[in-house]
Amino acid sequence: MRGLYIHIPFCISKCRYCDFYSLAGKTDLIEGYVSAVVREAEKYGGTSFKTMYVGGGTPSLLGPRRLADLVDGLRSHLQIDCLLEATIEANPESTDEDFLRMVRDIGFNRISIGVQSLDDDELKKAGRVHSSTQALKAIELAFNCGIDNVSADIIIGLPGQTVESLDNTLRKLVGIGLTHASVYCLSIEEGTAFAACPPADLPDDEFQASVYERVAGILKEYGFIHYEISNFALQGKECLHNLNYWRGGEYIGLGSSAASHVGGRRWKNEANLHAYMDDPLAAGIEEDIVDAETKMAEEAMLRLRLLEEGLDTGQLTMRYGLNEFKDLEKRLNILAGQKKLVKNGKRYKLAPGSILTSNHVFVDVIK
Amino acid sequence: MNNIRNFCIIAHIDHGKSTLADRILELTGLIRKASMEQMLDSMDLERERGITIKAKSVRIPYKSAGGAEFILNLIDTPGHVDFNYEVSRSLMACEGAVLLVDASQGVEAQTIANANLALDAGLKIIPVINKIDLPNAMVDDCSLQLYSMLGLHIEDILHVSAKEGTGVLELLDAIADRIPPPQGSSSDPLKCLIFDSFYDAYRGVIPHLRVFNGSLKAGDKIMLKSTEKVFEVEEVGYFSLGLTQAAGLNAGDVGYVVALIRNAGEIHVGDTVVSADHPEVPAIPGFRMSQPMVYCGVYPIITSDYARLGAALEKFKLNDSSITFEKETSAALGYGYRMGFLGLLHMEIALERLKREYEQDIIATMPSVIYKVATKNGETLMLDNPSKFPPEGQIEHIEEPMIRARVIVPSGFVGPCMELAEAKRGSLVGIEHPDDKRAILVYDLPLAEMITDFYDRLKSVSRGYASMDYEMNGYRSADLVKVDILVNNSAVDALSYISPKEGASIKGRALIYKLSKVIPRHQFKIPLQAAIGSQVIARADIFPMRKDVIAKCYGGDITRKRKLLEKQKEGKKKMKMVGFVEVPQEAFLSLMKIEE
Repeated sequence: MRGLYIHIPFCISKCRYCDFYSLAGKTDLIEGYVSAVVREAEKYGGTSFKTMYVGGGTPSLLGPRRLADLVDGLRSHLQIDCLLEATIEANPESTDEDFLRMVRDIGFNRISIGVQSLDDDELKKAGRVHSSTQALKAIELAFNCGIDNVSADIIIGLPGQTVESLDNTLRKLVGIGLTHASVYCLSIEEGTAFAACPPADLPDDEFQASVYERVAGILKEYGFIHYEISNFALQGKECLHNLNYWRGGEYIGLGSSAASHVGGRRWKNEANLHAYMDDPLAAGIEEDIVDAETKMAEEAMLRLRLLEEGLDTGQLTMRYGLNEFKDLEKRLNILAGQKKLVKNGKRYKLAPGSILTSNHVFVDVIK
Repeated sequence: MNNIRNFCIIAHIDHGKSTLADRILELTGLIRKASMEQMLDSMDLERERGITIKAKSVRIPYKSAGGAEFILNLIDTPGHVDFNYEVSRSLMACEGAVLLVDASQGVEAQTIANANLALDAGLKIIPVINKIDLPNAMVDDCSLQLYSMLGLHIEDILHVSAKEGTGVLELLDAIADRIPPPQGSSSDPLKCLIFDSFYDAYRGVIPHLRVFNGSLKAGDKIMLKSTEKVFEVEEVGYFSLGLTQAAGLNAGDVGYVVALIRNAGEIHVGDTVVSADHPEVPAIPGFRMSQPMVYCGVYPIITSDYARLGAALEKFKLNDSSITFEKETSAALGYGYRMGFLGLLHMEIALERLKREYEQDIIATMPSVIYKVATKNGETLMLDNPSKFPPEGQIEHIEEPMIRARVIVPSGFVGPCMELAEAKRGSLVGIEHPDDKRAILVYDLPLAEMITDFYDRLKSVSRGYASMDYEMNGYRSADLVKVDILVNNSAVDALSYISPKEGASIKGRALIYKLSKVIPRHQFKIPLQAAIGSQVIARADIFPMRKDVIAKCYGGDITRKRKLLEKQKEGKKKMKMVGFVEVPQEAFLSLMKIEE
């Protein structure tokens, strides 16, 4: 299964916690950027895809017309007519009815909305430019337009957040029919506004951890499956595009800073908007080629993120070979002995007690 | 011999010794400016720390302003108190010394210590004020200090900017004019002083010599006075930015000798070399074997690297014969070595070299001095490792090594410096006021306090202005106890330390607090305790780690995720497993950086 990712690195303003590649206030460049992406797509002419994901940044800043231009352009080079899933990310403030109709009309069947919180005070402190009312309205509009798989991003640990405000956010979202939720813990990354100027009322790790467990409990209560460390979905609404990442699948990323994985090779377009727009085919890439053992351990690490499905090492050895598995197997069994993984035949899963400290486990999984 | 001048440059750290040496080499045409990267400091580490660890020398041909030709032998000296003995031997190889003072800093503790060593060795001193190009240069103040603190004549002082080259040619002329030529006779029986050595994988240990009497050439048989061992000379030569073979070395010369000396333990700085035909020639006075003052345990992070570490230490010892090591076992850390060093700085440099040059992944334990422990059954034990201490009930009394420290400090900081010295169990020997701006405090202090954080604290209470020098000063009895540290309920012998009984629990609490910050959170709770015998004096818990980063793995950038994990894994590799707890290097040294 092959996925197509398109990165839209534009935002109205930079959120205070964000360290992704996105640029605020350069929306006049969108037009040119879209045509650069289409030019890059030409390089992969004829390739067919099963999933498509337009992420960012804020893809909803494209607006209906440029979104149509983008998809039409891609369609002229790539085979994207038999997609099982097409997702677009959107932020509430730039998600109106016209845009959503266009999203639906050109074939998107899933939308992921950057809600983060339904508490206006928390949103403001985090530097988000939308209100809780706008967020709820955007979700409702999406359903009304016939997009039946709607996901929301939720952040745990925002400044000023309380157990009550988070409960409220969650229950409102579930109440209006949300089908998927991505729940992240706030982490203060270098180079962000929060790192430069740490907020005083930042909830601590203990809060984040206990609240995370509470959130997982509430979502499960409403029938959500905790299918990946930070993702929850109603049955059948799991994000296929992202599942492909975690299963070590192939994908091509278009756009500045987008990552690709084809034929065992990973690479990433340079995060340099102007170089990309000058000539998307000449802009730099960062390659990442590793030996089979590293690759195998990397896939094991990714698959262990899938809490229900886990890692089937029988399948893994078929792909990479038994010899390459020897050391990895030792590492996995040590972790199983420490009860950080649960072993069942050839399948390993992250132990429930290790979900929140998964990095700690993954450090011991990788080569 | 009349045209030879043997000299060294002595200075406080960072007063510009290496820069001056470079400028001299450049102005005499020995090196081109482009390659001019502080030639005398060849070890990277020395460059980073701005100090010279091992003495080296270079032969510089020089034509003076008057047209006379000279051979200037510049003998480099280590610039730190740990190497005082080595400095004194290098000085003995010279007839004169350039005493360098930073114009913006003035006379400091090591300026005085080194000047006194030079005067004791009977050297002609050329006082030089360096860095006169600095905007905050205080040339007149420095001149007065040199006069009042060292009795040097103001009219003899030269003004130099080694950085810009100002006054350096005048300095070279002064070296030729003022420093006397070597005495001695090439026709007398051979008598040389070893002032340094280095190891060559093919030619063995190569001593650096100063010839006082006689001459030396290939084929001669030489004898080392300290061991009476005889070697045949294969080659002699001079240092000219490398080894330059020569037909012979004569009285007054400085050079090297290759004599297939395989065992680095044979060559000791300060030893006398004589001709095997004239073994009766007396040794040059002042020789002593270098004696380690500071010890620490060194353990491989991965237990199976033990043999590899041993091999690296053997090799290291060839290059630095002043380190010692012997096997040691720790219940917590497994098999390792107890290493001995001349002082704290020597230890830091040696451990860093072991990591970098010899590529060893090691954990070093808290440094310790040698305690003299008298037991109730009449034995006296010399113990360099707290974990070897007998139970308290068996100890009659404990003595610890002392130093006499000389601290130079601007008058305004005398109060805080005295408070610090007293907090560190110092007793005041005297205060001198060489001028109205500074005081010299003389304290007797336990060496153990010196090797923890005394120097750092001294710098901080004096805003960096205080400078210090010290010498060993015997043993003194003290009321000391051994403190054990328990991590996850089991005692970690490598964390045990010796503490004054008074204030032991305050220090113990501070250490436990520090450890609780330094040892990373695990997935289980880790209790930490400090105990004297069975009495717990401090405790804290490291709470379990509840979560790590759960962030968006965006756009499928798996590489970034993997690299972050790899970086974390690298950090983990630098930690030692003690039971089920991963303990970083920092924890073993946390006693050294306690904020009480």
